[in-house]
Amino acid sequence: MKMQEYTLSAHNFEECMKCTVCTAYCPVVPANPHYPGPKQAGPDGERLRLKDPYFFDEMLKYCLNCKRCEVACPSGVNVADIIQSARIRYSKSKPKLRDRILASTDFMGTAARPFAPLVNAVTGLGITKSVLDATMAIDRHRTFPKYAGKSFEGWFKRNAAASQEQFKEKVAYFHGCYVNYNYPQLGKDLVALMNALGFGVELLDKEKCCGVAMIANGMYDGARKHAAHNEKVLGKAASSGRKILTTSTTCTFTMRDEYRELLDVDNSSYRDNLLIATKFIYEKVNSGEVKLVFRKDYKAKIAYHTPCHMEKLGWGVFSTGLLKMIPGAEFTILDSNCCGIAGTYGFKKENYAVSQEIGKPLFDQIARIAPEVVACDCETCKWQIEMSTGLPVKNPVSILAEALDLEATAKLNQHE
Amino acid sequence: MKFDTVIIGGGLAGLTAGLRLQQKGKSVAIVSAGQNALHFSSGTFGVLNEGAEIPENHPYMKLNLEGYLAEVIPFFASAGVVLKGNPLKNSWRITPMGKRQEARFFMEDADPLEGKDTLIGKKALVVSFPGFLDFNTSFLAASLEKSGTAVRIELLALPEMDRLRENPSEMRSVNVARVMDRAWNKVVSEVKLLLKGEDVIVLPQVFGLKDSAIVSAIRESFDQKVLFVGTMPPSVPGMRTQMKLKQSFEAAGGTFLMGDEVLSAEISSERVVSVKTRNLGDHALEADAFILASGSYFSKGLSATTEEVFEPLFGLDVNFSEGRSSWYDADFYSAQPFNNFGVMTDEKFRALKEGKPVLNLYAAGSVLGGADALRLGCGAGVAILSGLAVADAIAPESK
Amino acid sequence: MANNYKDNEFDVIIVGGGITGAGTARDCAMRGLKVLLIERHDIATGATGRNHGLLHSGARYAVTDKESATECIEENMILRRIARHCVDETEGFFITLPEDDLDYQKKFVESCLAAGISAEVIDPKDAIRMEPSVNPDLIGAVKVPDGSVDPFRLCAANMLDAKLHGAKILVYTEVTSFIKEGDTVRGVKVVDTKTGQEAEYYAPVTVNAAGIWGHGIAAMAGANIGMFPAKGALLIFAHRVNSIVINRCRKPANADILVPGDTVCVIGTTSTKVPFEECDNMHVTPDEVDLLLTEGAKLAPSLASTRILRAYAGVRPLVSADNDPSGRNISRGIVCLDHETRDGIKGFVSITGGKLMTYRLMAEQATDVVCRKLGIDRSCETAVIPLPGSEGGKTEEVSKKIWAAPTTAQKASAGRAGTRARGISFDNSVDAALVCECEEVSVGEVKSAIENLEVHNLVDLRRRTRVGMGTCQGELCACRAAGLLGKAHGCTERAEKDLRSFMNERWKGMYPIAWGNTLREADYTQWVYNQVLGFNVEE
Repeated sequence: MKMQEYTLSAHNFEECMKCTVCTAYCPVVPANPHYPGPKQAGPDGERLRLKDPYFFDEMLKYCLNCKRCEVACPSGVNVADIIQSARIRYSKSKPKLRDRILASTDFMGTAARPFAPLVNAVTGLGITKSVLDATMAIDRHRTFPKYAGKSFEGWFKRNAAASQEQFKEKVAYFHGCYVNYNYPQLGKDLVALMNALGFGVELLDKEKCCGVAMIANGMYDGARKHAAHNEKVLGKAASSGRKILTTSTTCTFTMRDEYRELLDVDNSSYRDNLLIATKFIYEKVNSGEVKLVFRKDYKAKIAYHTPCHMEKLGWGVFSTGLLKMIPGAEFTILDSNCCGIAGTYGFKKENYAVSQEIGKPLFDQIARIAPEVVACDCETCKWQIEMSTGLPVKNPVSILAEALDLEATAKLNQHE
Repeated sequence: MKFDTVIIGGGLAGLTAGLRLQQKGKSVAIVSAGQNALHFSSGTFGVLNEGAEIPENHPYMKLNLEGYLAEVIPFFASAGVVLKGNPLKNSWRITPMGKRQEARFFMEDADPLEGKDTLIGKKALVVSFPGFLDFNTSFLAASLEKSGTAVRIELLALPEMDRLRENPSEMRSVNVARVMDRAWNKVVSEVKLLLKGEDVIVLPQVFGLKDSAIVSAIRESFDQKVLFVGTMPPSVPGMRTQMKLKQSFEAAGGTFLMGDEVLSAEISSERVVSVKTRNLGDHALEADAFILASGSYFSKGLSATTEEVFEPLFGLDVNFSEGRSSWYDADFYSAQPFNNFGVMTDEKFRALKEGKPVLNLYAAGSVLGGADALRLGCGAGVAILSGLAVADAIAPESK
Repeated sequence: MANNYKDNEFDVIIVGGGITGAGTARDCAMRGLKVLLIERHDIATGATGRNHGLLHSGARYAVTDKESATECIEENMILRRIARHCVDETEGFFITLPEDDLDYQKKFVESCLAAGISAEVIDPKDAIRMEPSVNPDLIGAVKVPDGSVDPFRLCAANMLDAKLHGAKILVYTEVTSFIKEGDTVRGVKVVDTKTGQEAEYYAPVTVNAAGIWGHGIAAMAGANIGMFPAKGALLIFAHRVNSIVINRCRKPANADILVPGDTVCVIGTTSTKVPFEECDNMHVTPDEVDLLLTEGAKLAPSLASTRILRAYAGVRPLVSADNDPSGRNISRGIVCLDHETRDGIKGFVSITGGKLMTYRLMAEQATDVVCRKLGIDRSCETAVIPLPGSEGGKTEEVSKKIWAAPTTAQKASAGRAGTRARGISFDNSVDAALVCECEEVSVGEVKSAIENLEVHNLVDLRRRTRVGMGTCQGELCACRAAGLLGKAHGCTERAEKDLRSFMNERWKGMYPIAWGNTLREADYTQWVYNQVLGFNVEE
């Protein structure tokens, strides 16, 4: 290279011009004065930490990792990556039992699901919530996501796997913990939708939790193990030419970017094949490969919330593009604001108030618009918005599955 | 995805062009690599300093200056942004250092002073908050005093600010403004108690981050003239203006890709066919026309190595001088030659590459060469007017 | 000494507020003398503040100049004890690259050991593991006890201690002539460079510690010192690329030392003879920048793609011995001249040559001469008594002793002020607020510097606190700091002028490297100051 032709630094921290834009878009700064803010915690702090790790500040744990600083940064600094990787390198605080439990989404799912009615009843009880609040510091206001009696994988094997064979073109589906244990209906909707579009769906060869909650809770070794496992599984699917679809922005973002940027797991084997289902569908519709027939009787007032990681992925246009196609929908895109839940963050008692304050502008706007349904590609945003507004929140995939005349659509999309 | 026009850059020039085209019924996508220079706005738009001569290669030489100037106020009004000022004549603003600087258009919380001497002989009360280092009342007061205004400074300690102050670095204009969304009327009532016969109240621009209604309400609360003066960045009026423009653009059907970056372009027979972005990967953005509104050095619309100044995306022609010693002046406050460098275009703002125009690629805003924004005071003017002109070049037909 | 002094009478007058003058003032004051120090600018404005900030082990001189090498290692060990808050014990490597002669390494190690410098040959693979930024092509590495030292902090601490021992410090005061009686120097005539006020001060001995400007001072007294102004240019990179000092294991040459210091690292230097009249206004040329980059990238290849913050240059106060045009082969040895024996001028001593590393020894030698002249017999204690702020341990220990849960800004303060950080107010949210975000300097720290450390302007403040030394080079903090200074000095107009000149001073170090991110930062800073704040408005 020529001398000084460009500059390189970890997560671009030296591109920072100290312009302060990131601080204006951080949702935590206005809500929590103990958080140093993205500029201080990120590129400013990095110089000090390089001088002496003693300058690491445990208050960095208040970063939601929402990446809004990165989206706003005019200089291409990966501010949140700097913060999260500093936590990985320097944090001395050990995750608490509560954090471990919250982070172990797949373990909890496996353990709880067989006893779903009981677990749901117990975690839904006021007394249990008080106990969790007092003993585990899980905030009592939170509604625990309900566990489904039957897992999505179980349902798929029994009811769907066989019929997928008839499709010549197939996609792989990374369903994630939420679909598997808490809300199999979304997975069912995806299968129905893809089948109507002429694609068979197959599951991966034993996916594991993407690990986002482990990263957030400081369980980096566990997260790396999951990442290494998923890299193999996803890489295998990608090597056979499959596109791997998802219905969760956070899982997608984690496996697409965080593995590489934070966990140092090389994911080039599948990175370009991994995409949110709405992107896949939009592109097929856009290119004319797939046709959609909407139900004439479908009417809904829909407001779309862009999850933080969707904002970072930059793929909101695909979900909103599809929803805009629904003739019977009165459609609004909400201002892009963080809802405040940030995965397990909002579940923690110490974060509850901050979490709700962060989400307030969003909840206020939803209240003003008063939609029938909020559309959103993220399950944790769903919990937060449902709890805070009382409105139903649905994944665009589910809304599409409802709005489409699936039979008529299927007839038009019989790929040879 | 296919659009009529794809704009690279979501700052003042890109948003102006995008909104104009969208209003003309075109479908437009803006790719914005992060936020933009409106966040460092002075609350005003400069067009040209009084007495400054427009150089031969200046973008203004390629457009109907007076015609477009007349359109600025109505155009911004269509986006919900109220601008004040005489389109053909400069007024004055008070800078955060208390200097009087020329500007043409004024956002709602900036105040056009008709003359440099408007405040002479007046009594002013400057109000700020304890520990708000980004609004330097002493400099402001000293400058005003020097030019003949009697000034008194008061610091308002509001309990509403206590929580924000706990953070040692985030006492910034925008965060103060968030507190003021709730506490502005308390400021009004407290200031009323502080007044001792002053006829001007000076407040920092920390009100109405989302909605300038607060600004109007404050003005209406006083019989005295209320003067809002800028702070260190970020700029509250600038952010509000950016937000309004973006919302209007999206409401008109435009697609705004925030935080994405154009990485490559396909050019065929002297036309740009499509561009690819970091987030969309292989999913190219196609369009009939493209606008490069990628800004200057700060925004990476222009880049420099030890040897050259270049336009990094398309490799367009840039009017830089040979030898980096010729790019600078050793005096920080003098005109810097590098401020004059930028992309060269033909008469219709079509960008030149190796001396020939790229037929459907237009350049607008501070990426353009020949416009030293600081020396001529033309930064915003070039962004807005070239934005409008480029949009009209792409879609000459009216709505 | 005698007790009935008039206000303008002293035992010793020291001319020059660099590290040598400050050290001499401290030593003299500790030995009970009534001391006046006169500096025409601020402390540490000359060569003191314009070098690598390398805590030499002496290894660099081991082969060519054993005496200097021995002095260095002895002083190195002393500074680790007495100036802990100024010193970073990083260790150093001397690396051999394929184009260098590996045989030199053997000679180098032998010379080091002979001079009392520990020198351990390291396997190149281990060297890469210990210092990942080092050129991976290296074929040899030797570990020596190099480190880094903050010259501003060191100078300020000496000055402060001198003051605590009763010395009077006059900055922004220039010597205009000597008051002589026959062949005896009786005192100095001075002018306050800020007010133009003239004054006279008397002392039986005057010490010339004015660095390269000592040439002129000596001439004023009627003595001639053949000095050799050798310009050295350096580059500051925006963060620490290396955590261990990297040197080339060969005869000293251009740009062969990379020193991590505080939040940055510094590559240098060049060496060019310059005329005396240029010493007051050093500019770094494009050729020097290119040379530093090319050679620097051989030590640590990542420098080729690391953001640069500034370029600067200093003048070494070498005393010429022969006609060597580069100045490289001149001894870095200490030159202590008693002009009475040398030139027949009584009451006048010059202390020069030497280097930052040996300032304390220079001060000791000069003070010995002064004491001898005054007939005082007190031994030097500067090697054993720690400087103010250095009584504690490392940053972590110090800050934990002061605060239960130190914040980042408190840690940074403890790093800069050592135990004196205890006196910095973090009591309320206004004092705890940050002025400089890049370097974590709080309002309280700025106030404390203004109160205790002779701060007259923003540049002075920068030398005491690192305000404006970070990535943005003052863009965010200069305005805030100027406001605080204005308030403290009760003059906003002066503060505004000061702010103007401070930004110009920052720009001076930026434009020689204004491409890439520096040009971006300049674009932004220009916009903020010249547009938003309106600094370019003509009045």
